[in-house]
Amino acid sequence: MKMHARVNGSPFVAEVPATSSLLEVLRGAGLTGTKEGCRIGVCGVCTVLVDNRPVSSCLYLAGCADGADIWTVEGMAEHAPSVVDAFVECEGMQCGICTPGQIVAVASMGPDVRDERDVRHYLSGNLCRCTGYGTIVEAALDAQARRRDEVAPA
Amino acid sequence: MTLAWPRVAGPRVDARDKATGATRYSADVEPEGALHAAVVRSTVPHAEVLAVDASAALAIRGVTAVVTAQDLERRFGDELCGRRVRDMPLLARDKVRFSGEGIAVVLATTRQVAEDAAALVVVEYRELTPVLDALAALGPGSPRVHEAPWRYDGAVVDQSHPPNLQSELVEGDPVAVDEVLGRAAHVVTRTYRTPSGHQGYLEPQCWTASPRPGGRVALLGTVKAPYRLREQTAKTLGLALEAVEIDPVPLGGDFGGKGGVVDPTLCAALALWANRPVRLALRAGEDMSATDARHPSVVEVSVGCDADGALLALRVDAVFDGGAYAAVKPIPSANLHGMAECALGYRLEAFSVRSAIAYTTTLPKGHMRAPGAPQAAFAIESALDELASAAGVSPVELRRRSVLSGGDRDAYGHVWDEARGAETLDAALEAADAAPRPEDRERPGRRRPVPSGWRRGRGVALYARPTAPPATTSLRLAPGDDGRLVVELPFPETGTGSHSVVRDELAAALGVDPENVEVRQVSTGLLPYDPGVGASRVTVGLTAAVHQLASRWWESGGTEAVTVETGSGTDRPALSYCAQVADVAVDPETGQVLVSSVVTAADVASVLRPRSHRMQIDGGTVMGYGFACLEDLLERDGQVWAPNLAELRLPTAADVPSLRTVLVEGGRGVGPANVKAVGELTNVPTAAAIANAVAEATGRRVRQLPLTAERVFWALHGETGGETGDEARDEARGEARNVARGVARGEEGPA
Ligand code: FES
Ligand code: FES
Repeated sequence: MKMHARVNGSPFVAEVPATSSLLEVLRGAGLTGTKEGCRIGVCGVCTVLVDNRPVSSCLYLAGCADGADIWTVEGMAEHAPSVVDAFVECEGMQCGICTPGQIVAVASMGPDVRDERDVRHYLSGNLCRCTGYGTIVEAALDAQARRRDEVAPA
Repeated sequence: MTLAWPRVAGPRVDARDKATGATRYSADVEPEGALHAAVVRSTVPHAEVLAVDASAALAIRGVTAVVTAQDLERRFGDELCGRRVRDMPLLARDKVRFSGEGIAVVLATTRQVAEDAAALVVVEYRELTPVLDALAALGPGSPRVHEAPWRYDGAVVDQSHPPNLQSELVEGDPVAVDEVLGRAAHVVTRTYRTPSGHQGYLEPQCWTASPRPGGRVALLGTVKAPYRLREQTAKTLGLALEAVEIDPVPLGGDFGGKGGVVDPTLCAALALWANRPVRLALRAGEDMSATDARHPSVVEVSVGCDADGALLALRVDAVFDGGAYAAVKPIPSANLHGMAECALGYRLEAFSVRSAIAYTTTLPKGHMRAPGAPQAAFAIESALDELASAAGVSPVELRRRSVLSGGDRDAYGHVWDEARGAETLDAALEAADAAPRPEDRERPGRRRPVPSGWRRGRGVALYARPTAPPATTSLRLAPGDDGRLVVELPFPETGTGSHSVVRDELAAALGVDPENVEVRQVSTGLLPYDPGVGASRVTVGLTAAVHQLASRWWESGGTEAVTVETGSGTDRPALSYCAQVADVAVDPETGQVLVSSVVTAADVASVLRPRSHRMQIDGGTVMGYGFACLEDLLERDGQVWAPNLAELRLPTAADVPSLRTVLVEGGRGVGPANVKAVGELTNVPTAAAIANAVAEATGRRVRQLPLTAERVFWALHGETGGETGDEARDEARGEARNVARGVARGEEGPA
């Protein structure tokens, strides 16, 4: 089938077999920032935004994303620059393989995600084997604070 | 002091690329015209391979070939593959020795076709009795995994050993231990068990090989030790060293697992065989069941003290399941260096350590973060608590009396001019008592308070690790096109921040802005040598090389490229202690264990990049927590039962305990940057600290990891109050399950 969508703000058209995952289609189109880890919806390294909701693209049928507004890590500098900055400045990464998913997940957080406990639950679908999570949680809190400031300048 | 972690001045060299998806990892590389390889893997643990029928696979459009061991042998000869002990074929020849071993490879134009076709290859087996238990494998009458393992190139055993022995390491003096324990006031002897485990990196292994003119081959992939993989590949394929090039690429985590399984060498062989680029990418589940895993252990500890609780002697007798091949282990003994050093932390009159690794027909076992040390520390540090209770002293007192101080001689005879055991232990205890806020003592992802009926407990454990003097490496510094300086490195960034350390240190040594230094990993042909990332040697070795590089650069006028190659250093080693205090709550009804907090005191010298250093500490502790409470690769009946990340149960952000760290600063480190190893420190004592806390909370000792609710439940409720959870459970069930299995196996197994 044909998939028509927007990816990172630009029109995206691809011929996709009915069984293809969104992950395969995105990576196949050269958007390799989104990673393949477990392929069973557990690790979160494949997280992308579909109509502003974070989804595990390994389990998401590409066909279901027809007509959607999709954002991947490659678009985060534009879509959620404060999140990217927070991860860079807080050093919220080591090997970086989980980082695309973490950043996309944080970019999808609403203002109700405020404290450390909220962040840890929100990110519990994004595994990280390297960091022990401390710097990732700090980056997420920092990003949330920056975005609050952007919305309501003091 | 408790650190408020400062932000570093300069971000990591790789931060922005990683945060925008620009970093290209192994799986993101796909050369034009590459064939995709999918490996047909054994589904049984031990069998003769009678026939391989590839006709259905070959009939699929897009399949170009199905390659077997015979095809490779005709081209490359019959050398076996391995890092030290060369005992593993690239593809099984006439026998498979573990479920997951490669038998044939499908080459196809797309990955999907290759994987689908691989499922259609039919292998006919004659099953042999599997060898599944390491202890039984070393006993008399066990079937042999290999006919004559002493004949393998690089073998570390001889014909006098039991035929299933992979390697044996012996330290100390067992006779002296007997003598000293004979006059000890208190002695305990206990046995502890730990399971098989995957390193847990989230990037499945993947390699791409491309043929080059003149019979050469270039290989790129999940490789943490490029120069050693070059050696392994050249040797196995009968090529000159220069004919193999390993190209640079960052790793998505390693933790010991990406050192050198046979698959990258297989990938290189396939590219030469097909004369096309070949990409071999593993799925996560395949990676978990077919590469290499942590050694499961059975460790018996005998330890004794005098009437005042001062330690006298320690005996550690370990049997590890090494799996079907020794090929993955890189050190000369083909054993586990964490075992060799396991008696380091305490003053002892006598000690002995024996570490036997058995061949079994299971997944080959390799390295995982401080190989051997977490298993040994779980056993020794648990036994110390059991000894303390036998001697009527507190576990803390018992340790404090016998840890090393400056000027002390350790059990191996080395006199340390600086050793800070007591300071480190006390720093951890003080911090555990003085949480800045009450909630800092609770799991930060908690949803609701711990119910009042749960039992609380606190446990302590210690680990001592030497930092060796700087080892061999090489670096090159050259002026770049844009006025910047380019420093070339021989190994990948695995995530630790090593490339950023090189940039920072070189900029400091040359007095230039770090922004003006570019760091690049280069192919193996471009630098002399490096043994690879591992054993916490990178920062120590690199900083020494960086300082040489800077002075060479100035000597030569600072305009032309310079290369340095450092030999192994002669500095004194340094000793780091790590003390952890774990606080747990246990549900007495279900046995569920909740780890509220782990406080770590780490004995450090200079800290180069505080946040990177901290992530080594936090990440290590979380890995230790997973080892203690969650992770088990579940190898049963010769199969990895649930080869997927869901069942492996890596800790999530919501699971982890509150982590607080105290750095015991001002230590003497190694090399010009005055540093001590930290990457393989904090993951080691965590399991014992948690097990000791559970024992304090419940009054029952669980001697087997992970500390699942089921094990703790049976320790609490088993009819006879059996000592380990599993023993109690098995007693309670009349060992029905084990008996049934034994019967089943007896019926099935060929005579
Ligand atoms: S790859 Fe999609 S959740 Fe792991
Ligand atoms: S940074 Fe390596 S897995 Fe998260």
